[in-house]
Amino acid sequence: MSDNRLEIRNLHARIAGGETILKGVDLIVPSGEVHALMGPNGSGKSTLAKLMAGDPSYEVLDGDILIDGESVLELEPDERARAGLYLAFQYPVEVPGVSIANFLRLALNARREEGDEVGVMEFYAKLQRAVKALDWDESIIERNLHEGFSGGEKKRSEVLQLLVLEPRYAILDESDSGLDVDALKVVANGVNAARGPNFGALVITHYQRLLNYIVPDMVHVMSSGRVIESGPKELAMDLDAKGYDWIREKHGITASGDAVAHA
Amino acid sequence: MATLTDGAVLTAEALEALIARLGEPDWLAAERRAAWRTYQATPFPTGRDERWRYTQLNRFAIDGLELVDAPRDTGVSDRIAMRITDSDAEGTLVLKGGELVREDRRLKQAGVIFTDLRTALRDHEDLVRKHLYSVVNAGDGLRKYAALNAALWTNGTFVYVPKDVEVELPLGAFHTADRGGLAGGRTLIVVERNAKVTYLDEFTCEPLGERLVNTGVTEIVLGDGAKLRYVSLQNWSRDVVQLNTIRAHLARDARLESLTVSLGGDAARAEVEVSLQGPGSESEMLGLYFADEGQHYNQYTVQHHASHHAHSDLLFKGALRDASSAVYSGVIVVDPGAQKTDAYQTNRNLLLDGESEAVSIPQLEIKANDVKCSHGSTTGPVPEDQRFYLMSRGLRPEVAEHVLVTGFLYEVMSRVTLPKVAQYVERVVQAKLGVPGVKEKL
Repeated sequence: MSDNRLEIRNLHARIAGGETILKGVDLIVPSGEVHALMGPNGSGKSTLAKLMAGDPSYEVLDGDILIDGESVLELEPDERARAGLYLAFQYPVEVPGVSIANFLRLALNARREEGDEVGVMEFYAKLQRAVKALDWDESIIERNLHEGFSGGEKKRSEVLQLLVLEPRYAILDESDSGLDVDALKVVANGVNAARGPNFGALVITHYQRLLNYIVPDMVHVMSSGRVIESGPKELAMDLDAKGYDWIREKHGITASGDAVAHA
Repeated sequence: MATLTDGAVLTAEALEALIARLGEPDWLAAERRAAWRTYQATPFPTGRDERWRYTQLNRFAIDGLELVDAPRDTGVSDRIAMRITDSDAEGTLVLKGGELVREDRRLKQAGVIFTDLRTALRDHEDLVRKHLYSVVNAGDGLRKYAALNAALWTNGTFVYVPKDVEVELPLGAFHTADRGGLAGGRTLIVVERNAKVTYLDEFTCEPLGERLVNTGVTEIVLGDGAKLRYVSLQNWSRDVVQLNTIRAHLARDARLESLTVSLGGDAARAEVEVSLQGPGSESEMLGLYFADEGQHYNQYTVQHHASHHAHSDLLFKGALRDASSAVYSGVIVVDPGAQKTDAYQTNRNLLLDGESEAVSIPQLEIKANDVKCSHGSTTGPVPEDQRFYLMSRGLRPEVAEHVLVTGFLYEVMSRVTLPKVAQYVERVVQAKLGVPGVKEKL
């Protein structure tokens, strides 16, 4: 089996000094595929996303995270990013005083050797392609990072950055929440533009709706800090129609298991 | 708490020698002697003094220093030459160790005076006499260091803009030094009715290898409807301690936009005091500082609303690291009768490590009942969510820190209307943050 995959192995984790949230997550996203991760509130999806990116407010108790067979558990967030991981944030932060263009130039150059900085033409060509793929106005790149952005604009910015930075693997944490259908299509088009043999993605969502536009190769269901079910894309339709209870019952989990994890 | 002493830096004999050497008119000699007496009668500030609380007073000690009466040489260093080329100021003076060592007065507008104070005393004595000591003087609560400056200043700048004249070229003075000791410079800016000018004071020097304490006083007189944009940019070498007082009187509808920047020196105290004496007058007061490697910055501000319908808006922001410290203390004073006052005061500090500390003491003294006043201060570390976000994009921790500091200071920087001042401040901040390739270009 090829090592070209994003792998989560028996991951146990908690809020630093606090409650255990992940209780043995196993998940594999092979390069070239897009997987969806669904699950009720409090099941641990967002924790998993932030943890993979190296959020210091969580601590890993057991297990491993591997990119193409290499553990990234000991790596700092910036090292993980340079190793090819990208997190589209559920709530992107505002950073005043730095334009999207300058920020992305810094981010691209961080991936390159000193003295081999990205050329101006190359950089703007990349940026323009990404802006176009998202059906956005070019003036956006001169705006300060998320300053005064609407919720939808922030989500779009996360996908813009993904297209420019071209990671090996992306985790999209509810990049659809709060979007109307038009905005949803734009974000989905952006993600689809990134698809290819050298790109894998884990799309975290509450709603099957997104998966009409980003068609996943597989769907995973998370509950009580574990992945309890994996299946083809039709699984998402079942969840949409029937909710999560039937699947929880099948695995002997009470609904309160998620609520507790969420508390 | 350290107690400051005089160490007989300034004696009556030294003052008389200075007066004799400068050959000034009698009225000025009398002012100097009066200031000397005030200086002697005024105790050094202590930690109990409200205006100096939390100040590392020993950093501002002056005992054992010699009066600087002349520079070692009158040459202009490459650094200063570059700063002049790269400044917004089009008309410039260079003052070094109390001497005017270079001037480039491109100014030809009728009636406008832009020269050093000694020349002004010779050529425009009546004007200087009318305004010098009119804003910072013994009767107006002259303080220890301001009194010291009033007695011993050796030279400075005089800017005079007659009524209805708008000076198109920004003007500026570069203050530099090539030796240690105790020095004093003075700036006098008079803008008459409906006149307008931009003026910059910049302080910088090569490393001296000995300690220099520089006292500075800037007096600003704005007539009805007068407009002044004033910048004080302190980037001394680490040998220098700066004690600066900037005080302005604003008449009806006058507008002052001030920016006080502290980046250099070992320790620096900036007092920025605005007295809004006429209705409709306005004062924007911006401050920016970035302390590293143990630097101590200290700012004291006054927004004195003496008249009704006046507006003042103060924003001081600073970043600190490497066991450095900052104190901000500021007061909004609203006199009885100063109704419809609109006054704001904000101080924010960003602590980049656990060793640095900032103290913020905002105060209000309101004696009118129909006013809008607010003040606020925050001091805290870099927001972890921002740091994590930047690093999650691959930015190395030090680069993420540059971005966050820049972002923090942006609220002030975005209001700086002089482009080259903004660029230079950004470069110095970057150099202090260790951004590669920047220091060489300063």
